Amino acid sequence: MTQRLTVAVGGGCLLDRAALSALVSGLPGLHVVGLDSDPPPRVLVWDVSAGHLAELPRLPPGTALLLLVTTDNCSALPPGVAGLFSKDETPEALGIAIRQVARGEQYLSPSLALALLQHQRAASSSVDPTALLSAAGQALSTLTDREREILTLLAEGLSNKAIAARLYLSVRTVEGHLANLYTRLGVHSRTEAALFAIRYNLSTPIR
Amino acid sequence: MMNTLTRTRLAVLGTISDLHREPLAYDLARLRSIVTDLAPDLLCAEITREAWESSDLSLASLEVREALALVEAATDIVIVPVASTPMQYAGFVPSEQWRRKLVHRFDRLLQWGQRKANRPEVVNGVMFGSFCHTICALTEMIWTAEDRAAWEAQNKAMAENILHAVQRDPGRRMLVAVQCQRLHRLLPLLHASADMFEIVNYQAL
Repeated sequence: MTQRLTVAVGGGCLLDRAALSALVSGLPGLHVVGLDSDPPPRVLVWDVSAGHLAELPRLPPGTALLLLVTTDNCSALPPGVAGLFSKDETPEALGIAIRQVARGEQYLSPSLALALLQHQRAASSSVDPTALLSAAGQALSTLTDREREILTLLAEGLSNKAIAARLYLSVRTVEGHLANLYTRLGVHSRTEAALFAIRYNLSTPIR
Repeated sequence: MMNTLTRTRLAVLGTISDLHREPLAYDLARLRSIVTDLAPDLLCAEITREAWESSDLSLASLEVREALALVEAATDIVIVPVASTPMQYAGFVPSEQWRRKLVHRFDRLLQWGQRKANRPEVVNGVMFGSFCHTICALTEMIWTAEDRAAWEAQNKAMAENILHAVQRDPGRRMLVAVQCQRLHRLLPLLHASADMFEIVNYQAL
C-alpha cells in the first residue's frame, strides 16, 4: 500500500487558499498539511495571483513546487519550479500534476505549452533554418515508432497521463520513452520537444 | 522507465457489483480507496474499448462507473478496457421460467454470501472464493449451452486482452478489477500464461 501524499497550499488570497485546500483534500490519496510540518510536504501548490509570487517562501528540502498560473503570468517564474498548472484545468488534472511533480518530474498544462512555445519561437527565429532541418532529420530518424507516436501526442498538448491513457501504457513507460527521445533529439524539456515536433511537421500545432 | 527486464506483477481484485452501494465494509468508497492506495500502473477494467474511448459508461458496471473511472480521472492510473462485450454475468437470464427462477435463487444466495463476506479481503479470500465458485458453477449449469459458451468466450477474450496489455507494457504493476463471479473463470486462464507475469494477492501488489 502507498502512503498518502502530503501537500501544502499557499499564495493567492485567504479565500483562494481555503478553496484550494478543500479541493486538494478532496482528491484521492492527497493530504493537506502546513508548509512547516514535519516531515515537510512533498509538494507546495502556490497560487500565483498578482503580487503573491514575491511572497513565495523558501522551500523545505524535498518539497516540489507547483505553481497555479494563467497564460498571462506564466512567463516570469522563480527558479526551482517543478510544474506549471493552468487554472483552467480540471480538479482531477490538479491531482495528476501534484503526483507528477512529487515524483520529481515536471508538469506543464497543455494550454500553457502554447504560450511558452510561442515565446520560444520568437526567441529562436534568428537561427539558420537549413542547418536546423538537417540536424532535425537525423535526430528524428533515430526515434522508434513508439517514441515518434509519443512525440506527436506531446506536440498536440497532451499530458503524460493523457498520452499514457491514449496508448494504454503506464505513465512511467511514457516518461521513459520521453526521456529517451529527449536524449535523441538533444532537448531538455517537453516544451522543447513539442516545439521540435511542430517545427519539423511531425504534428499539427496545438490549438 | 521502459522496463522489459522485470516481470509484470498482476493481481486480480474481485468486486461485488451493485452491493457496493450497500452499507458494507466493501462499499464504493472502500473500492476507490483500495485502488487509489494500490496505485497500480495499469488497471484492467470490465468495459469495452469502444465504450471507454467514447466515454460511454452507460452500459458499464457500477464498479467502473462510480469507482474505477473516478480514480482513473484523479490519479496517474491508466485504465485498460479489457471486456470484449458489455454483457455481464447478471445479463445471462434464461428464457424458461423454471431456469430463470433457479438462477434468481442462486443470485440471492450469492448476494447473501457477499453481504456476509462484507470486507474486501474476505470477498477475495479462499472461503468466500469456494462458496462463490460453487454457486456460480451451479448457476452456469442452469444457463443454456449458448449462454455458457458466450460466457466462456468473453472470459477467454478478456484474458487475451489482459495478456496483450502485459505484452504492450511489460514489467508493470497491473490490477485487474472484475466482478467476483468472473474470478473463477479468469484466474485459470491467466495462470496458464503465468510465465509472462507473476500473479500476486491484491494486497501484495
